[in-house]
Amino acid sequence: MLIRKTEELLLRLFSQGLLSGTTHTCLGQEICAMSVVRALSHPKDVVLSNHRNHGHFLTYSGDFAGLIGEIMGRASGVCGGIGGSQHIAFRRFHSNGVQGGMTGIGVGEALALQRRNEDGIVAIIVGDGTLGQGLLYESLNLASVWGVPALFVVENNGIAQTTPTAATVGGSIEGRGKAFGLDTWQLDDSEPGFMERAETVVNEVRLRRKPGFLVIETRRLGPHSKGDDMRAPADLSAILARDPLTSIGLTLDAAARSRIDATADEFVADVHAEALASPEAAFVEARRRCFPAGSPPAMAEGVQDGNISTTVRASLNYSLASLLAGHPEVLLLGEDLHEPYGGAFKVTAGLSTRFAGRVISTPISEAGIIGASIGLALAGFRPIVEIMFADFLTLGMDQIYNHAVKFPGMFAEARVPLVIRAANGGRRGYGPTHSQSPENLMGAVPGLTVLCPSHHHDPGELLRRAVLDWNSPTVFFEHKLLYGRVVDPAGYRELGADPEDPGAAWFPTLLRGASDPDVTFVAFGNSVLLAEAAAEQLAGEEVATEIVVPSLLAPLAGRTLSKHLSARRRIVVVEEAPAEFGFSAELGAVLLQAGYSGSYRRVAPPPMPIPAARSLETAVLPSERDVLDAAIATIIVDIGSAA
Amino acid sequence: MPIPVHTPRINNNDDFVRVAHFYVPPRSFVRHGDPLADLETDKATFTVEAERDGYLLRFKTEIGQTVAVGSILAWIGDSADEVAPAEASTGTTPGATGEDRAPTLKAALLLAQYGLTAAEVPVAGQRLSVTDIERHTAGWPIPHRKPAASRGGTAQAPAEAGRGVELTRSEAGMLHTVLWQKEAVPAYLEMAYDPHPWDEYAADFQRQHRLLMNPLLALFAWRLVRIAAEQPAINATLAGEQKHVYDHVNLGFTVQSGSSLYVVVVREAEGMAMLAFVQKLGNLQRSAMRGALRPEEVAGATIGFSSMARFAVTRHVPVLLPHSALMVAHAAPAGGVASLGATYDHRLLHGADAVRAIAALALPPSKE
Repeated sequence: MLIRKTEELLLRLFSQGLLSGTTHTCLGQEICAMSVVRALSHPKDVVLSNHRNHGHFLTYSGDFAGLIGEIMGRASGVCGGIGGSQHIAFRRFHSNGVQGGMTGIGVGEALALQRRNEDGIVAIIVGDGTLGQGLLYESLNLASVWGVPALFVVENNGIAQTTPTAATVGGSIEGRGKAFGLDTWQLDDSEPGFMERAETVVNEVRLRRKPGFLVIETRRLGPHSKGDDMRAPADLSAILARDPLTSIGLTLDAAARSRIDATADEFVADVHAEALASPEAAFVEARRRCFPAGSPPAMAEGVQDGNISTTVRASLNYSLASLLAGHPEVLLLGEDLHEPYGGAFKVTAGLSTRFAGRVISTPISEAGIIGASIGLALAGFRPIVEIMFADFLTLGMDQIYNHAVKFPGMFAEARVPLVIRAANGGRRGYGPTHSQSPENLMGAVPGLTVLCPSHHHDPGELLRRAVLDWNSPTVFFEHKLLYGRVVDPAGYRELGADPEDPGAAWFPTLLRGASDPDVTFVAFGNSVLLAEAAAEQLAGEEVATEIVVPSLLAPLAGRTLSKHLSARRRIVVVEEAPAEFGFSAELGAVLLQAGYSGSYRRVAPPPMPIPAARSLETAVLPSERDVLDAAIATIIVDIGSAA
Repeated sequence: MPIPVHTPRINNNDDFVRVAHFYVPPRSFVRHGDPLADLETDKATFTVEAERDGYLLRFKTEIGQTVAVGSILAWIGDSADEVAPAEASTGTTPGATGEDRAPTLKAALLLAQYGLTAAEVPVAGQRLSVTDIERHTAGWPIPHRKPAASRGGTAQAPAEAGRGVELTRSEAGMLHTVLWQKEAVPAYLEMAYDPHPWDEYAADFQRQHRLLMNPLLALFAWRLVRIAAEQPAINATLAGEQKHVYDHVNLGFTVQSGSSLYVVVVREAEGMAMLAFVQKLGNLQRSAMRGALRPEEVAGATIGFSSMARFAVTRHVPVLLPHSALMVAHAAPAGGVASLGATYDHRLLHGADAVRAIAALALPPSKE
């Protein structure tokens, strides 16, 4: 009754224009919403809800003032006004506005409980409308393969926003659970004893420590959101006639019903007044950057003992081994990581036998394993995901873009110490979908840290910092051609990091060359080799060069780089990612804002697929000649204008 | 004939391998299947074997080196004294034109900044280098070098409040030219003359050669070239305590193109016939209008000619060009009378020298 009256108040406030944004009420589904959440009794139990979350949240927290304040955009809101109706974080309760987006995260949370041998379970609650989302099936499969204590709850209200379920779901709903080998139940929230049955299901999942699949028949009395109910009056009358809440009310006498009614009205009025008394949510400047790292590491640690005279692959392997050995919260997930294969590029060679159970070869489910890793990270693990080819990061993009970076960005206390390693780059003839360098895509995700070390950095040490110290979702690019390169400082030194640049001190920019260069190259990853080759050629032309090698692409170390580069006359940036909206575009913009007036050229592949044939691939990807030509062009321009 | 032994691919993921061991010294006989070298990656070691009988001529690498898969590892020949082919060139040299004295790219940049051409700088080595230019310019009385990092004047900003605005390209060019006036002691004089003989002369010339444009100013300039050839004192500059008398007359001629002022230069003009000179100057003017002048076409003037007649200006005092002693000012006639003026470096020339020059210039060639 309290849930219903609270949501009715919200709809009134909306119709009065007093709320902005959106909301999705569970009118008519309150009993369904309460059932599983109410039955969760263990302090480690987790609830992952969805856009229609009010009933779940109020049952979990009892914080009515927090919810109304949140939706009203008040400082007293449960998330300080950041989340609004759909995005709520409260203890072990999380909800998000992307359909099915948290199902993988739920599996990860359940895996965390399993690994710690705890009795909690995870309730992952979706609606029947979510049955069209692919991630849900990756999650069901992962839960089944890993045998984790997760209960998938499908609240089947017969309609997806405005589209009837018959038009959105093929086959049977409960058959989906069975197909993945999950214990499956079907309940109806209008039947007597529903609450007790739901509790039984929860207890069985807790007892069996296995994943379950519960379908609850329910009906939505209100609109999907606001004023978007297209159903026929006869259908609505039928739903009203089956309303479980009304049915329960009818079991009481009229006097008791009105007493409860009056008490609920009074309570909701008080809650409304409390929210109104709270000031509007205020922006906290310190939250503008959402990277919760501690103090920076000591500068210039150099190559560690274990990494001397080793290749990039071995450096990463050594680092992973050290992380696994020294930190029980570190887990490796990815496709084909186990022995004797050891990952497509052999970076995890030997680790699955040395650290049994902690190097997990997963199904081919990029979104699912990134999601699960977010769940593990939220639960205190430090997962490292390997994405075999960086091209496949896009399969996990929703998990990165809408989930991993949202937690630290929205909720100050949330930490997602997740590192996603991905092999990027071409020049191996792998063709259009196995050769790309999506640094520009990843760099565009607000709150995501993007690293791409060269072999002059200490890749293993940078990986260690990303995993242990940085505490933020990070994509760690490893260029395929660098794996076999020997880690070699090669005379590079660290560029002093500006303390205002997040991450610049953790993930240094290197530089080498003339102090008063004619041309400055900025290159990262494998492109450093092109810059070095061009610099060597230019030395024969008496042209003094400098090479600047960032390892941190995003957030761009803007102050660090512009402080150094704005006095340079000619800058050539080399990247293997498309330049459009990428690193060189961002660096150019930063320099322009800093008043840079010299020559600025970019060498990058054109916006087209990378061909497989070696001759074609070579023509598309930047070459030493392209870099040289760009550098020469900056000088020719000056020769033309000096006379 | 020697055949190459290529570096094999040991596994699918390694494009480079390390050379770990050589089994045979150079010039030794090997049989098909004999081990030649061990190569290793992180994961495996592989022994490269001889693919035929013969003499291992030489390994192309050394132990410990990393080599690319597919590259040539060694050569096997039919006899021990066969010569392994030389390594292929690694690429073309940027900027090289094939001429021995082609400047390095940095030298080309310096040449442009100094306003020099490659032909003017003696070359010590195979190519014109930065050192050559520095050696060449070290003795110069005037520091030619445009400050590399400077994009405007070198003076400090005045104490009074104001804002710094970048010079446009044409303004920067002007600054580059006008700077040199500080290195001269300029004086100015002018004298009246009858413009009609010149007008008739130019009209005849235009008719005779069927020229589209009136060649009057070009003919004036050519006349100045002749006078300079006859009076070397006006085709000179000061170099320290010495007078530097130029070997050639490089005639600088001002061209206004849009908002840009150019001084185009007809080099070694003293040897040119009148029509060739007129055509050359016309070509330079057209290049200036298109913004397509080459560096050497705007550098190295030894004497100058400036006209503001097309703007109906009846008197103007031009600045001296870099390293020159005389700049003639031509203006529009007024009331049937015109005047010719000259700015001259009074350290080198007397007023009489200048008068003698412009008096000669006042008469067209045929009536000299």
